[in-house]
Amino acid sequence: MTTPETELDGGLYAARQKIYPREIDGRFQKLRTIAAWVLLGIFYVIPWIPWHGRQAVLFDLPARKFHIFGLTLWPQDFYFLTWLLIIAALSLFFFTALAGRLFCGYACPQTVWTETFLWMERFVEGSRSQQMKLAKAPWTADKVLRKAAKQFLWITFALWTGFTFVGYFTPITELAGLIASFSTGPWETFWVLFYGGATYVNAGFMREQVCKYMCPYARFQSAMFDKDTLIITYDETRGEPRGARKKGVDPKSKGLGDCVDCTMCVQVCPTGIDIRKGLQYECIACAACIDACDEVMDKVGYPRGLIRYDTQHGLEGKPKRVVRPRTIVYATLLALLVAGLAYTITHRNVVGVDILRDRNALYRERPDGKVENVYNVKLLNKDGREHEFRISATGVPGLVVDYAGPNVWVGAGQVQGVPVRIRVPRAELKGGADIEVSIEAVDQPELRATGKARFIAPTD
Amino acid sequence: MFGVHSDEYSGKLRWPRLGQDVAIVAWPSFLVASVATMVCFAFLDPLLVGNDDYPPPAFSTRMTGYAVGFFFFWLVSSLSSLLTLYLVRTAHPEPTETDENADGGARSTE
Repeated sequence: MTTPETELDGGLYAARQKIYPREIDGRFQKLRTIAAWVLLGIFYVIPWIPWHGRQAVLFDLPARKFHIFGLTLWPQDFYFLTWLLIIAALSLFFFTALAGRLFCGYACPQTVWTETFLWMERFVEGSRSQQMKLAKAPWTADKVLRKAAKQFLWITFALWTGFTFVGYFTPITELAGLIASFSTGPWETFWVLFYGGATYVNAGFMREQVCKYMCPYARFQSAMFDKDTLIITYDETRGEPRGARKKGVDPKSKGLGDCVDCTMCVQVCPTGIDIRKGLQYECIACAACIDACDEVMDKVGYPRGLIRYDTQHGLEGKPKRVVRPRTIVYATLLALLVAGLAYTITHRNVVGVDILRDRNALYRERPDGKVENVYNVKLLNKDGREHEFRISATGVPGLVVDYAGPNVWVGAGQVQGVPVRIRVPRAELKGGADIEVSIEAVDQPELRATGKARFIAPTD
Repeated sequence: MFGVHSDEYSGKLRWPRLGQDVAIVAWPSFLVASVATMVCFAFLDPLLVGNDDYPPPAFSTRMTGYAVGFFFFWLVSSLSSLLTLYLVRTAHPEPTETDENADGGARSTE
């Protein structure tokens, strides 16, 4: 990894030169375009999918419930999210060890949205050279019009992105209605503008600068690299010494390598680096230089792959190994975590019970010789459909449970509080005892939960 | 078309130092604040934040609580990042073996 000294020299406050990546087509750029469409498609479409009368994916923050299709997660299920984040991190490690910075080049939101903004820029301002010419040109009517049109596209797209983002937290059809009638709440307005603004600034202006100094992954990914990790690399032994030559001239006769020094690899690079200087942490592995170089190699009639995906071992002519201790460890851990998560989610208890003592009186002595305690029993139904529950209790001989029953109805994803009176014969108890209160779904007895409570009786 | 210019970009490809500083402080603290907000409000209902006894609670709606929480965390983590950055930026560089005539830190080496 090298840091070009020249970039650190010079004035600390000199303006940065904008990077104009040249448009390029090729195998890997097709793949990246597909990845961008799929990922953005998922992001923009998901909030619009309905599911049994509600939004399929809705992180309902005001109600503190996350709906993901048939699954409803409560704050108590927070550990699933943690688990999911660990899986995501480990996947990143695994794919990094295997194929380098796949994430950066194909799936990172920063890359994907920057690409989209670049497409819009090209659509309005034309090719790379046209854009550079336009930037230098005086402010004619044409330039104003083009710049305004670009800003219009960017801002509209960014606002739509902000709207979609908030649509994950507020039902999106309602939100659309609120926006259409200019009656969104203060926080909805704020977050639409916040996320829209972040998209606009990140994808329109900051672009590769985010990868260069803001991204932690760009710095620590090298820790997951080894000599068998796929990287994008320039074959120096084949390419050097580089130099221009006339078509049809045998490079060996002029003492030249295969690199014709056309600088196409630099022109297409979205971070503006020269891959021929070796592996650099600024490289996001988008493979644009591979496509560009292959195109040039085809034109001059040399074999492809002067710049290619390869491993360090591959470059040295040693055998490549995909299966190695590092990948085995990552893969095993990943498989275990995914299987564990799947098992826990499918087997999690979707019923819960919470027992709160009535605060007004410790106990009441009844004329029939029994002691009564009053509780507020909260029944939690996290299941996707409604259930009827029965409440029972154990712990003291002769204990009786009395509530407005026999069945308590709790809707899907609801909590129902029920006042419950529990009576114990006076003779059975002095002072108090721990009791257990259970609930059980009538239609599905395996849905049950038990909670502990304290029963208080007179001490004499 | 071939071999015309070897250095495609003659100017600087990086932000000025000040811009880098803002980015280095704002972005990591944003990430940390996002995680902190998630963890915090998974365990804490903003409607239950406030005085021990009786209303008014600190936040009128949960959304206000989440937003205030997020920006609070962002502020705190930014301050921490800012101090770290200040300490890193103002430290004297270690003299390196290849750099015998070290110029007192005017040039940063990574």
